[in-house]
Amino acid sequence: MTTQTQLQPQPRSERTLDGVRVAVVDYGLANIQSVVNALECFTSNVVVAADPAHLDGADKIILPGVGHFDAGMRGLRERGHEAALNRIVREAGTPLIGICLGFQFLFSGSEEGSEPGLGWIEGRFERFPRQEGLKVPHMGWSEVVCPRSSRLFAGLNPPWEFYFVHSYYLPNKGEAAACASAVCDYGQPFVASIERGNLFGTQFHPEKSQLGGMKLIETFLSLPNASCPSTV
Amino acid sequence: MPKHRLIATLLVDNGNVVQTRFFKRTNMVGSAFTAVDFFNGWTVDEIVVLEISPNESPLPRAKEIVRELSRRCFVPLSVGGKIRDLSLAAEFLRIGADKVVINTGAVERPGLITEIAERYGVQCVLVSIDGKPDPSMPSGYRVVIDNARRDTDLDAVAWAKKVVELGAGEIMVNSTTHDGNKQGYDLKLTNAVSRAVSVPVIAMGGAGKLSDFVDGIVEGGADAVAAGNIFHYFEHSTKKAKEAMAAAGLPVRHIGFYQVNMPRRPKYRPH
Repeated sequence: MTTQTQLQPQPRSERTLDGVRVAVVDYGLANIQSVVNALECFTSNVVVAADPAHLDGADKIILPGVGHFDAGMRGLRERGHEAALNRIVREAGTPLIGICLGFQFLFSGSEEGSEPGLGWIEGRFERFPRQEGLKVPHMGWSEVVCPRSSRLFAGLNPPWEFYFVHSYYLPNKGEAAACASAVCDYGQPFVASIERGNLFGTQFHPEKSQLGGMKLIETFLSLPNASCPSTV
Repeated sequence: MPKHRLIATLLVDNGNVVQTRFFKRTNMVGSAFTAVDFFNGWTVDEIVVLEISPNESPLPRAKEIVRELSRRCFVPLSVGGKIRDLSLAAEFLRIGADKVVINTGAVERPGLITEIAERYGVQCVLVSIDGKPDPSMPSGYRVVIDNARRDTDLDAVAWAKKVVELGAGEIMVNSTTHDGNKQGYDLKLTNAVSRAVSVPVIAMGGAGKLSDFVDGIVEGGADAVAAGNIFHYFEHSTKKAKEAMAAAGLPVRHIGFYQVNMPRRPKYRPH
């Protein structure tokens, strides 16, 4: 049982993970500030990487995102982030977490547009079908279930509830299902988060999911990099 | 299904929360920063900040306040109040808002909704609609703008449908006869809008007791309920509201907590 006194965030004079250097990939779409705000609770070493050169030397990489799939992928390509991420994440094995649209980029593509994604994991996003009683976008707090043991969710007690806002979803099948660490249901089951080697991704917004989401971010930042070998 | 959301709406003038009744200011409540800190700790699901500083006050200051509020807010933050063009919407999104709220700006130039939606996605566009009872309108409600000071020719329900076509991802409904009245939401208007549109609808204006939140969802058909005034006056207000919703059998987000070592933000003192 949590007690009343635990409800307030604990004041601290220092950040717990201050040594961790985190790069946030900036490809020109809003809103990276929320992610930066959340990261700055744990480390002062946050770099907003508008230029791929700023990704070098990062301990952890965050690929955030809100917006249109094609616009985002074009932004990544035009700024040279795609090549840099392939080098740093796929080859050098730096842990990366994709959030929302950034999560979608890890896969092959999306019905929303025609641009290919980064294609690190096989899977294609589909639009939520029109269905009685289900509003699109799927917006709000939904509960997820974890089909297998997860490094991201290790420090969290269920119920796992996170803030979602998206119109496209990843069907829980094939390679995506094989690396799904959380599954959510909105008319049909879809993949809410994935973990494979040094690749992590969440369809929900941990930076906007209050303390549960903050805990997840803290867990990601504190994972030892050696424990996340690249498998892409 | 997503859980029903409880939203705290803060009307912010120069960093201070003010209260309104029938769209007119009544009194100043206190620091918006303190309010955001507390609501964050009291399981609120979302925060809406409407910047209502006098028009002559400098915009950079409003932006500075929004930025600082966003640094303390770890639930979705919607910002609005003065948005008439894409550039200010873009600016608020850049400095930490997750959504923008437009009302008068959308009525004056409906294309603004589409401009924001095309650039940032429909989930970024929260259109706020203020309705005034008017029997001459098909739905019985006329849209009013500019803090209910100006009438329009629009029917509230027809306008709600129109804004969704234009790219609104969410609609917030308030009523001139219920705002700040503590007698509960305008359930008739909320229900009419909820049934007419395919996007989530937020009931706003008039919550005076905890059961009003339940009524807004059950009878008003709203997906989420918002309030301002009521939350400022008792301990654990937003948490108690969530508990009332849960007790009525409505699915809401769990009311427990994790221990996270989030440092309190550096003190920011508005005047």
